Amino acid sequence: MMNSNRKVQSTNPKKVRPKNLNLFTIRMPINALVSILHRVTGCALFLALPLLLVTFQLSISSASKFQLVQDLMHSPIAKLIVLGLAWSFFHHFFAGIRHLAMDVHWATTLIKARYTSKVVFVLGGLATLLLAISWVF
Amino acid sequence: MLLSLLTKRYPGMRAWLTQRLTGLLMAIYSVVLLIRVLVLTPSSYDDWLAFSRPWWWRLATLIFWVSLSSHAWLGVRDVLKDYVPNVKIRMVLLKLVVLALWVYLVWITLLLCNL
Ligand code: HEM
Repeated sequence: MMNSNRKVQSTNPKKVRPKNLNLFTIRMPINALVSILHRVTGCALFLALPLLLVTFQLSISSASKFQLVQDLMHSPIAKLIVLGLAWSFFHHFFAGIRHLAMDVHWATTLIKARYTSKVVFVLGGLATLLLAISWVF
Repeated sequence: MLLSLLTKRYPGMRAWLTQRLTGLLMAIYSVVLLIRVLVLTPSSYDDWLAFSRPWWWRLATLIFWVSLSSHAWLGVRDVLKDYVPNVKIRMVLLKLVVLALWVYLVWITLLLCNL
């Protein structure tokens, strides 16, 4: 992410270096994108836990509440939320597996890492798409 | 060797390894969950209870949730360390995260016990 600063660094260490932390102007290689999204999705999943618990509680408490959950799930907003969370989970899941693989030194060269990044995105998108097709429509 | 890393003598390694082991446990649970949903295709309320009730599945769910609590704690802690430089505010947020995770754990335990 900080590659672009290299030229500035090598000249004068005392000089005030430009700080560039604007996420929208930093050029993000695909590996960085997988990584930051792994973080974002992890936080999103954490924030979604109460929603998950409430839904589970409703779904097991009685037949009519179970029906209520099913009805709520038909609204477009609910579908959007569920699909968003599902994608978050899938991305975090596949990126997490990739992370574990790299921890045991599998696919750690740059070329392979770029390739597995693409695999993570494709699998995450595909899983979400399958869910959308089988459930939403 | 691996197990010695889990002792209090190496807090950083312990956190690192814990996050990996819990991640792995949750991944296994998720795959089993997916397979069960595909095989049993629960659609009615009764299906859903039959799906959720087996003692071993409730136990697995509890183990999943214990893993999740520990995993999310370590993960969110790292994120807050990175993005909240103000120590006082960070401490408050960290305490809130711990509190929330304990409440969730008690909550799911009660749900599973009364299922
Ligand atoms: C399903 C299986 C899961 C796997 C395989 C997995 C894997 C991982 C791994 C390997 C890391 C470490 C990343 C690092 O050290 O940079 C991590 C971080 C994290 N995970 Fe998970 N995880 C899973 C589920 C979850 C769930 C359900 C949550 C939410 C409650 C979650 C929340 C987080 C958070 C907040 C982080 C910190 C992200 C960061 O520091 O960048 N994870 N996960």
